[in-house]
Amino acid sequence: MKLSLLFLAVGFILVLLQTTLLHLGPFVPDLTLVLCVYLGLNHPTVGAVVGIFMLGYSVDVFSSRILGVNAFAMSLVFIAVHLSSRFVWVQNPLLSAPVVFLASWVKLAALMMVWTLFLTMDGLGIGGLKYAFLDALLAAVLAPAMFALLRRGQSYIESKQASVEGS
Amino acid sequence: MISFVRRNQVLLSAFLSVLLSLYIIAPAAKGHRRADPIGPLLIAAMRPFQSGIQMTISGIRQVYLNYAALRGLTAENAKLKGRIQELEAERNRHLEDESINRRLRELMDFRLELPSGAVTASVISNSASTWFNILILDKGKKDGVEKGMGAVSPLGVVGQVVSVTSRSAKVLLITDSHSGVDAVVQRSRARGIVAGSLESGPIMKYVKRSDDLKEGDRLVTSGLDGVFPKGLLIGTVSKVNKKSFGLFQYVEVTLAVDPARIEEVLVVQGAQAKD
Repeated sequence: MKLSLLFLAVGFILVLLQTTLLHLGPFVPDLTLVLCVYLGLNHPTVGAVVGIFMLGYSVDVFSSRILGVNAFAMSLVFIAVHLSSRFVWVQNPLLSAPVVFLASWVKLAALMMVWTLFLTMDGLGIGGLKYAFLDALLAAVLAPAMFALLRRGQSYIESKQASVEGS
Repeated sequence: MISFVRRNQVLLSAFLSVLLSLYIIAPAAKGHRRADPIGPLLIAAMRPFQSGIQMTISGIRQVYLNYAALRGLTAENAKLKGRIQELEAERNRHLEDESINRRLRELMDFRLELPSGAVTASVISNSASTWFNILILDKGKKDGVEKGMGAVSPLGVVGQVVSVTSRSAKVLLITDSHSGVDAVVQRSRARGIVAGSLESGPIMKYVKRSDDLKEGDRLVTSGLDGVFPKGLLIGTVSKVNKKSFGLFQYVEVTLAVDPARIEEVLVVQGAQAKD
């Protein structure tokens, strides 16, 4: 329960930061994606799925003309990460960088799929791919630090819970 | 069966959330939008935090600018430092007030040039993703803002209102790849649609190969889309490429407004929408 509240608070703060402070030129570091990858790897529960859906929906409320686009993309990323977690074990936070980098491309593919199916949309050319590469790189660079912080928070709450249950 | 569901409950719930997302998105294919009971609550919950952060950023920016101007002071000014800081704080307030006053005065002057019914609004949040260009305004239905109205600044066109709650409005910026503003070239009256692009900056689409266009040409709203009044500045032509094939020219545009720096806008209604 406390762990769910932690992730809820982190999600709220990330959306807040992404809608205000974190605007680096045309780029907005996709920290919500990093949280999605973290939950897919380290906390794959039904609650996490609901949380990811709500996180994507929140990003839609503040960013997208069409609701559900980011919720769809994040849910797909969660599935991809959760399935891959059966084969990939990310213990060192540094290893989260390539996973987030790949997840960023999965998310973009999901977004492109929705845009192509539901909206009229020009394809993604070289310029767009460069843009996507930099976006994925930015998220990947920030991922290890965020993973370390999230892991520390999770360990702290789990140890507290264990000591309460022990006593 | 039950053990299968238990074993795969995470995957199954994730697939359900994918299906739920598609259910929410689906009406968009027909240009409709599903009712959103959560969005307005979320915007209302975030609003005080976002406004606070925006004000803090603005204050810090101003303090930094003033600090940079003061950096050359040496130790002999130390006893005056306290007084200077007090005055600086006061000056910051005045500068900020003056800056707000100037911007609002410009908006008011500009408002007089526009059809009546324009609403002044402040930006409370930006897009949370690199792939979308959206602003949230602090005015909504209660203030007279409606879906389909245009958002403009004294410098030019900003975007279009795509959804409204009672106290906020979502503006799709002209830089978004899904936006489109009916435009004419002021000099030659050639027409096209100015839209954002994932490839480069904003572009002008559907300009016939035979149309007369050159770099530096000013682009203004045609008024035919019913969103913006006629004659508002959109930007200037920065690059023209007449390919050896195809019906249209490739035209890149430099916008008159940098949407990332916008703090206040006027929300206006086009002629057709008004009728």
